Amino acid sequence: MASIEREVTIPVPPEDVWPLMIDADQVSAWFGADVEIDPRPGGRATFRWADGTERAAMVEDVEPERRLAFRWLPFQSTTDGDIVIMPPARVVITLHPVTGGTRVRVVEELTVNRWPRVETRGAGSLLAAIEA
Amino acid sequence: MRRDRTDAIFSALADPTRRQVIRALSEQGPATATSLAANLPVTRQAVTKHLGTLADAGLVTATRRGREKLYQVSPQPLTDAVSWMAELGARWDERLAALREHVVSTRRRR
Repeated sequence: MASIEREVTIPVPPEDVWPLMIDADQVSAWFGADVEIDPRPGGRATFRWADGTERAAMVEDVEPERRLAFRWLPFQSTTDGDIVIMPPARVVITLHPVTGGTRVRVVEELTVNRWPRVETRGAGSLLAAIEA
Repeated sequence: MRRDRTDAIFSALADPTRRQVIRALSEQGPATATSLAANLPVTRQAVTKHLGTLADAGLVTATRRGREKLYQVSPQPLTDAVSWMAELGARWDERLAALREHVVSTRRRR
């Protein structure tokens, strides 16, 4: 499955990071978009970027202070009001308590098809991407 | 890049034999289905079918050579697929950096 994986360590415990994942105003403070979210399975999330593009997601899984998963819907609206097809993808955000804070891990994976895992941490070469 | 084409690319590359075909083509340069089949554990007919799928996704192009077609890798769609992944990763890098910065600056203000 095509996926990317990123993580960051934040100097506060998971209970303080969690509201930043599920509270619309707090998510909007870092996500780079204006976010609305109904943080329960089946709940809707909407992301509006400053350039006018908008994409919706459906919340799939919520484990307070541990895990939030949502699925991007496979299209988005553009600045011109067009609807463009996007690859359907799932985002899984997990919080892990670590010494001095929380490790926030994000995996975004395409859900369209099977595809070899791509290591994007370094500059993956074409063949490495195909082979991985 | 066009996202709708990405789907076709991922789908075409989902099959391990098709990935072998792409790899063989990129290593040995333009080749016919017959010469590819000689080095792969599949029949020429199967290779031809896979090449058709890869061509539909824009991953290979064919030129006629006598009675057979000569296939070669078309690098642009592959670059597109990889750059799509890179773009996605870069976006999360930005978001997570902003998340960290937000937490650190909020704490400092308290």
